[in-house]
Order: sequence, then structure tokens, then C-alpha cells
Amino acid sequence: MSIMTNAQETTDPRSAPGGTPGVTRATLRRNFWRGVWRVLRRKPSRMVGVVIVAGFAVMGVAGPLLYPDHLPRDDDALYAPPSLRHPFGTDFEGTDVLALVITGARYVLLTGLATAVITVALGTLIGLFAGFRRGRWDTVLMRVTDVNLAIPGLPLLLVLSTVWKFESPLEMGLVLGLLGWGGIARAVRSQTLSLRERGFIEAARGLGLPTTHIIGRELLPSMAPYIAMNMLIAVTGAVYAQVGLFFLGVLPFESNNWGVMLNLAVFNGGALTTAAALPYLMAPLLAILLLTLGIVLIVDAMDEIFNPRLREE
Amino acid sequence: MTANPTAPAVRVRGLTVVYKTPVGELPAVSNVDLTLAPGTITGVVGESGSGKSTLALCLLNAVQSPGRIAAGSVEIDGLGDVVELGGEELRRARGRHVGYVFQAAQNSLNPLKTIGKQLLDLGRSHGVEDLRALVRDAKDLLARMGMDGARVLDSYQHELSGGMRQRVGIMLALVLNAKVVVLDEPTTALDMITQATILRIVREVHDERGLTTLVITHDVGAVAEVADNLAVMYGGRVVEHGPVMEVLGSPRHPYTRGLIRAIPRLSGDISLARALPGRPPTLGTLPAAGCVFRERCDRRMDVCDTVEPVPLTRDGRTVACHAVDAAADVDANAAPGVAAGAADRTPTTARRKEYA
Amino acid sequence: MITGTGITKTFKQRGSVLGAREVRALREVDFAIEPGGAVSFIGESGCGKTTLGRIIAGLETYDSGEIVIDGVPMSGLGHRRRQPHFRRIQLIHQDPYSALNPTRTIHQTLEAPLALRAKQTGRSRSWVDARAEELLGLVGIDPGYVLPRYPHQLSGGMRQRVVIARALTMDPEVLVADEAVSMIDVSLRLGILGLLKDLRVRLGVGVLFITHDIATARYLGDDSELYVLYRGQVVEHGPTETVITRPVHPYTQSLLSATPVLHGLEKPGAERVVPTEALDPSRTDEGCLFAPRCQFATQLCTEQRPRLSHDGTTLQEHACFHPRTRSVIPTGTGTETEMGADTLADTGADMGARG
Repeated sequence: MSIMTNAQETTDPRSAPGGTPGVTRATLRRNFWRGVWRVLRRKPSRMVGVVIVAGFAVMGVAGPLLYPDHLPRDDDALYAPPSLRHPFGTDFEGTDVLALVITGARYVLLTGLATAVITVALGTLIGLFAGFRRGRWDTVLMRVTDVNLAIPGLPLLLVLSTVWKFESPLEMGLVLGLLGWGGIARAVRSQTLSLRERGFIEAARGLGLPTTHIIGRELLPSMAPYIAMNMLIAVTGAVYAQVGLFFLGVLPFESNNWGVMLNLAVFNGGALTTAAALPYLMAPLLAILLLTLGIVLIVDAMDEIFNPRLREE
Repeated sequence: MTANPTAPAVRVRGLTVVYKTPVGELPAVSNVDLTLAPGTITGVVGESGSGKSTLALCLLNAVQSPGRIAAGSVEIDGLGDVVELGGEELRRARGRHVGYVFQAAQNSLNPLKTIGKQLLDLGRSHGVEDLRALVRDAKDLLARMGMDGARVLDSYQHELSGGMRQRVGIMLALVLNAKVVVLDEPTTALDMITQATILRIVREVHDERGLTTLVITHDVGAVAEVADNLAVMYGGRVVEHGPVMEVLGSPRHPYTRGLIRAIPRLSGDISLARALPGRPPTLGTLPAAGCVFRERCDRRMDVCDTVEPVPLTRDGRTVACHAVDAAADVDANAAPGVAAGAADRTPTTARRKEYA
Repeated sequence: MITGTGITKTFKQRGSVLGAREVRALREVDFAIEPGGAVSFIGESGCGKTTLGRIIAGLETYDSGEIVIDGVPMSGLGHRRRQPHFRRIQLIHQDPYSALNPTRTIHQTLEAPLALRAKQTGRSRSWVDARAEELLGLVGIDPGYVLPRYPHQLSGGMRQRVVIARALTMDPEVLVADEAVSMIDVSLRLGILGLLKDLRVRLGVGVLFITHDIATARYLGDDSELYVLYRGQVVEHGPTETVITRPVHPYTQSLLSATPVLHGLEKPGAERVVPTEALDPSRTDEGCLFAPRCQFATQLCTEQRPRLSHDGTTLQEHACFHPRTRSVIPTGTGTETEMGADTLADTGADMGARG
């Protein structure tokens, strides 16, 4: 009876050398990181992005350890021009601007990270749940999302800052995160709605696989590039938001960070009218620009990293 | 053959199209010679990776990056070598000289514009002065295909069924009076009855307007219904080419034989039918030397591993196969004259009777 | 054994101001699939065949009628209690490209359902890997090659075999194959059809085959049955070979006539009914549903609806007031012997005489 079967495709001309049947998770993980490396090497710009972001990460982690708690002041050199000793000059108190940028990075980056994690976690969770369950849950959650999207962030922060000092970057990140998850939730929901009609999700349901498996193992990985991209973009968004708030002087500043530097440079140093404080203004701006650039360069690789086809080729 | 004197001939010579891949440039179409006689329908049959769609795009010189036409020419009467054309000249030639009906016309229509609006866009982009006449022609064409022209022009893509979209695709390809028409998978994703209707329309419109038509498909049945000549492609080569009745009735190339034996059919003994062993090649798995089909071939010889067979034409049929050459030489020596003279049937007229 | 009686399904389409428009997808469809049996449903798109497949696979609900799986009627059970029964029926998707998760290797794809199966049946984890290899061998692909790979690295035919292997992880009683070969390369289609036939014999798995291409139904085995669906109604039903070679319903004859003839290898049937495509089908529900497109329709056909029944003269059941056998399918021209075939079964030679 089996005349026609098994006659074909049993052997492959370029049959696999490696690849023992029971592929362990470890090898898969190793292959994944090897693939990531390949994707990053494909374009020099991506490597530049990685170097920049890694540099900022080091700055955030180790920066404050490199300097004493109170940065030394040089009373003889207020608003000193750039020199070998002070590559970006000094501020109004004679403190080295580069040191300020480096020590100030931690607050900015931590806020950005906290915001991104909260936005993405909340947005993904709510979007997934609404899209997968549909029906009443969908309606309710999407109305909540609409409300979230409608909250005016700046006025709320103005009000909040009257009672809250935001000493910790995590507090800042929490507030920004809670304000910003709406967009991702909507996007993830629409992705889920379209993915759940795909054959492999239906097959998983037909096989009786548990919902946790379907969401965690089948749906999420397909959305990974999307989520990762949103996360990176959320970081830049949070950096801008929070630097902006400090710059406007909306938030009382207890600690040193880039937004505070901008504020002092413009409103105390008169950087917009005199040239003396210009390096003081430019240094944090340059840092923000570089960070954004690094992230944008990496975002370009996300699609290829999480799509096996693009990763392996 | 009912060759229409106004229909142009198309001559593809030495055509090679390469695609850029991480391991270098690989040929999707390799040194293809193919002549479309004026006024005929030629069917190109091939599986995935055979290069048939790439070949079709060459008639428009529309191969997209990372692919490029590396060598060869595509001569169309009244137009010249399409490969040499560029810019504005090329854009004008598309539509005016060569009409292209995209795969099942599913995704080639703009979902946000009515068919009529897309027709006017087409007319304007080709500098048609009398748009009224264009709309009239379009309505006539649609009516010819059994549809209410006015209503269809007012419709959006989603309001039309698959068969109707396919008709709209044919209309848009013909409305500028192109005399060479390329249909890419015209019946994929259509029902049997719709497919039969579309094929009949293709045949009738072809005859009425005096066209030279190229039908690209994976479905031998669709070609058998509509074409005069059949070219079989495998791994970027045309391995067999000849009148459709003869190629199907007595296939010579081992791939054509295997393919025909593998078609699920309504007639014939099912126990004789079987799938071809192995699988169609992809760009990356094509052998660099020798015959591209040898891995799946039941008549493989030593020479097949090293020397690529050259297409040879005998009594109006072209085959590229070492085994066929060898057998033909033996035949010619043993009984001269047997191989020739098998073909005086006229497929076109025979076909027409069945539809009547 | 899986049986369905009087399966009816109506979809309500929203949109119209005057309220919902109803589309009757299935009208009192009866069917039965024996263990290891093969049943094909054919018809145009929109005839309800896909809906029926999804209902049988438990992915869609039905309005009325009864599905009985191994003696257990489904309508009395709640959603949760039904699922284990419906799991014995696995759907094979038409599109092997979307049926496999592109981000997961074949090993991961097979491991998840097998791990679940191991838990259900109290087997060990080591069984999972062994079984994955066994199943891939069963569907005719090399486990060593396929397991570590992602779907995009496999050909369409291989993917479809993986999809079938995944369906087999649940030890199903029936595989529902919805257009399972329409997206496969022509040279490999018979391989997939042969595999389905082979699984029937070797594992006793029943096959419910859904297609618009009648010819493919022939390759599931001599004992297979064919149902012809038109607008949700079964209009002809009987042994596959009988319905194909001696069709009595004009709709079946239209479908058969529309199947391309391989000119040169085949001659068209003498009474080939030139099919008409329903561009704007008048959706009346009066009389015979096919009457508006039928060239043999009479006054009676527009007034009354014929019911599916045996009339005693044919092997198959039909729903037509004017049944007549017509020779519509092509006949071979005998050239097949040149292709290395010894004999040519002339399947349609005696049809005209019977009509």
C-alpha cells in the first residue's frame, strides 16, 4: 500500500552534519547568541551603536565610583573653557563638566531603564491579555488604555512634584512608566489579534496546549522584535521626558543629572547669551544625542535578531 | 496555427539572471533561450525555485534588487531589446507593449481606491489623452469577460471575488492595447470552476485581440487547457519546450515525465502515479556543474555530473538531457525517420472545438 | 468512529442597516468516518467545506445536529468536557508556511505537545525525544536533519510532513486535512497524499480530506468516500471512484468538467458540461440550490428542494430530481505506455453507456 510514500525527502542531499536529535536548550541559546553576534557584525553602524550603549552602561554603573562623592571645585576656574584638564570646561562652581556628565548618567539611565521595563511589562501584559481573551476583557482593558493615553503627563507631573521630591531615579521611572504604557498596550493587542488567527496558534489550541504555553512560547517570541524595539524607544523617550522636566525646573533637584546641568547652564550661566557657559550646555546635550543615536542604531538590528530566518542567513 | 499577423514575436536569448546572496551571485535563470511565436500562447511550467517568475519579470525588465539581469537579451517586435531599455522608455513600454497580470491579482490592486480610479491613474501615468475612451475600452473588456463594467469600476478590491479580481487584472493589462501579455499564476487560489472560466477567457481574449501570451504557472493542467506551446523549467533552465500536445503526450525530458506522472488526475491508473523523489532545488542547493536535475533523475549517467546538457531541437521540440540525446542518436541510426513526423495535429483548433 | 447528523451552521454577518444577513454555511450535513477510513469533502470556496472541517476538529461550534465521537455525543457536554474528545481529531492546515511557528525549531514544535502527551499518559521525559524521532520517521523525513532546524529552512513538502507529525503527537483517530496539498509543489503532492493513505493503513488513522480539486481525492485509497457540497448541502455522496467516474448530479459534473484536461495525454469527456461560474449568485433559498446555475433545471427544481437519498439505480446518494450519468471526465489516450506504464486503466470508458 505504501508505494508512493517515503520515496521522497527521506534523504537530503546536503544532509546535516551536526544536529543530534535531542537539541538541548543550551545549544539553542548558544546558537541564538551566535546569531545575534552575526547580525550585529553585518552592519558597522550596529557595532557603533552597541559600543555607545555599552559605554553609557559602564558610565552608569561605574561612573560615580570613579569620583569622590563631592566633586572637587576649582574656585579659580569658574566657567573655564575646554582644556586638557577639563575637556568640557567647568561649571559655575569650577567643577569639571565631564565629571558631572559621567556621574550624572546613572540617574538618567536608571530612570530610562525603569520606565522602559514598566512600560513594556504593563503594555505587553495588558495588550496580550486583551487581544488573546477578546470580548469583555478586551473592551474593559482598552477603555482603561484609552484613559491612560488621555492623561496629560506634564500637568500631572507638575502637581505631583509639589508633594514628591523624586529623589530616587526609580520613583521617577515608576511615574513615567505608569504614564506611558498605553501606546504599547494598543500595539501589542493588535499584533496579538492578528497572530492568534495564524495557523500555528490555532494548531497549538487544537493540540490542547495550555494557555501559558501559547502566550509565553508561541505568541511572545513572535512579538519579541516589536517589544524589544518599543523598549529601546521607551528608554529614549524617558530620557527626554525626564531631562526635560529637570530642565524646566519643574522638579526640585537634589542630585546631579543631565537635566539639572542644562537648567543651570541656561538659567544661571546664561549659556544662550554668553559663550562662557556653552561647553557646560553642550556636554549633556551631546551625551543625550549620543545615547539616542546608539539606541537607534541598535533598534535597526532587532528584527533580524529575533527572526530566525534573518538571523541565520 | 492561427498566427495573427499583427502579434509580435518575443525572442529571449542567452538570458541569465543572478541574485546576490551572502555566498555570492547565484543564477536564478541561467542561459535561457525561448522564442514566443507571434500569436501563440506559451505556458511556462515549473515548481518553486524553477525561475519561472523571474523569467516573466524579464519581459518587463523588472527584476528587483538583489537580482539583476547579468546577460542576454529579450527582443520584442516593435519594441527592441527590453534589457537595453531604461527609465522613461521602459516605464512606457510596460502597459503599452507588455501587459502584466500579477499572481491571482490578489495583491496587485490598491485596496483604498476604486478600480475606476486605478484605471484613470494608469491612463494618466501613460499620458492617455482621451480618458473617456479608456474607460469605454475598459468597460467593453469587462463586459467581454462577463461582468458589469460600470459596477466593477465603482467597486473596491474587497468587493470583488477572486475570479472577478483576476478579470480586472487582465483588463488593466490589456486596456492600453498591449500586444504581449504575461500572466503570472493566473489561476492559483481560484476554484476549479472559476479557473476554467478564467482560462477560457484568456484563450478567447488572446485570439480576439491577436496577442502573444506567456502564462507562468506551477499547474500543468492550467497550461494544458490554454497553451499552444509548453516550456518546462527546472532549476533556472528550460529543460523541454515544444507543442503542448506533444510535450504532454510524449514527454522526453525525465523531469517532464516525472512531473506529469506526479499530477493528481481524473483519468489513468492511480497505482502508476507517483511523486518525484527528492525536492525542488533552491538557489543555494543548485549544483554548480552538470545537470541540475540529476539528483532526482532516474536516467542519470556519469556525464550528467560534470557536463550541463545543451538544449537540442529535434522535429520542433527542444530538450536538454544527455540521456535523451543518447537515445535519439541510437534511434536515428537504427530506424531513421521514426522520430519525425509525429506531429501534424493542430492543438489550437482542436481546443477551440471543445469550448464551442 | 465519528459521525455527524444534521450538522447545521449559520453565520450572521453584521453590517447591513436592516440587521444581520444570514449565511447558511452548512445545511443538515450527515457524515461518518470509520476508524482508518477516508472521506473527502469537495466543493467551491464558500460551500462550507472548511467550516465543516473546523467543526469536526472542535475549532468551531455548530447550531444544531449532533457529533458523536466514539459513541459519546458532544452536544450534551460543556466546552471543557468536549475538548479531550475533539483532541482525537487533529486539523492539518492548508498553509504549511503559517502552520509552524517561525521562531521555534522543529524539535521545540514537537516537544511541547509530546511533553503534554507524556504527562497525560504517565510516560517519562525520555519518551518524548524518542517519539519525536519515531513520528518524523513515520512521515518520511530524517529526524537528524529536521529536528534542529527552523521552519524556513525546510521545503513546503517537508513542512507539511512536520505538520502531520505534530498532529500525530496526540495519537489522533482522525486527521482533518484542509486543502493539505494545494500549496505543495506539484511534483511532491502525491507524496503527501500517499503519506495520508499510508497512515490510514499503518496507524489506522482516519482521514477527512477537504479539497476543491476532485482529482486529489482519488489518491486516498480505493475504499474512500466522497461528499460533494454545494452551498452547505451535500448534493452527492458515495464511493469516490463511483462518484468520479459515474457522477449523477449536475454540480458534480460541473466540478469534474472544470478539472483541466491534459491534452495530448487525455481526451475530454464527451458530455463535458461547460461550467458556469457564479459571478453574482442569486441567493434564493427556494427549490434546488443549484437550479439557478444548472442547465438541466426544470420548473420542479425551482419549486422544491431535492433531498439526499438513494434512488436504487446508483451506488451513490444524490440530491437531484433529474439524475443522469454523463461522461464528463477525460479519458486517457493510451500514450502513457510510452512513459513506462504497462497498462492503462481506462476508468471512464463505459460511462456513456450507463447514462
